[in-house]
Amino acid sequence: MDYITNRRKYNSTMTNFPNLLASKAAAAKKAALKGVHGKSVRKVRTSAHFHLPKTLRLSRKPKYARKSVPHLPRMDQYRVVRNPLNTETAMKKIEEHNTLTFIVDVKANKHQIKDAVKRLYDVEALKVNTLIRPDGKKKAYVRLTADVDALDVANKVKTYGLIYMSGRRERKNCMNIRYI
Amino acid sequence: AAVKAYELRNKNKAELLKTLDEQKQELASLRVQKVAGGSASKLHQIGLARKNIARTLTVINQTQREQLRLFYQKKKYIPLDLRVKKTRAMRRALTPFEKKLKTQKQQKKENHFPLRKYAVKA
Repeated sequence: MDYITNRRKYNSTMTNFPNLLASKAAAAKKAALKGVHGKSVRKVRTSAHFHLPKTLRLSRKPKYARKSVPHLPRMDQYRVVRNPLNTETAMKKIEEHNTLTFIVDVKANKHQIKDAVKRLYDVEALKVNTLIRPDGKKKAYVRLTADVDALDVANKVKTYGLIYMSGRRERKNCMNIRYI
Repeated sequence: AAVKAYELRNKNKAELLKTLDEQKQELASLRVQKVAGGSASKLHQIGLARKNIARTLTVINQTQREQLRLFYQKKKYIPLDLRVKKTRAMRRALTPFEKKLKTQKQQKKENHFPLRKYAVKA
């Protein structure tokens, strides 16, 4: 309190200085004991509907792992692709449509097949078509990208034995499939 | 070519995984040869290859679990698949300590009125 501007008030407060301090202390004590939540205020509800309030969500901190060690990948490339097909129609697909045909695990999907073929043969698949044969196995037609020749891939893997082509047009005499 | 389990146990994990991969590749190539009409000896190898893979996986898993059990030996909480299996009921049964607990009333009775043994003099 500034003495010059408010002489009277200053004098009155200052004469009662010890009492003033005591009362201030008493007020502070009372406020501390009462706490901040003394007054109950009604919440302001801006909507007529009651929606789920947002509560605290803790993340998991497990005391122990439920499974001691995670399993090795179950659907690895060797499980997905079983064996390639070397039937006549499969051969035709290789030459004409640049696709490889595989027998594939029944539980494999097209993404897995594409990935597996990439890992096994190092080729990119343009698209994969699948069907389930009457004998319960899954067949996959894997069309390769244009920059790769399916015939090369097949030979490299010695997939279909060694394929000799002499004259593309005639089916029967053109291919000598030598068995290993 | 049958790989031996005791030879596999000397290898470390990375080597084991590599051998596993090689064995799987071998099996894959054998399957291909089967389709392309392989000789009988080649087809015989398929069975052997499958068992080799099984052996490698067994060694991998066995050593892994053994090591984990050592790791968890002193700990309070251990993973569920390393805990004792027995049966569901047996796991939930009272522990030996809990079974032998007696009320104070019963303890007093037993102390004051134990089972007496008599002998008949001939």
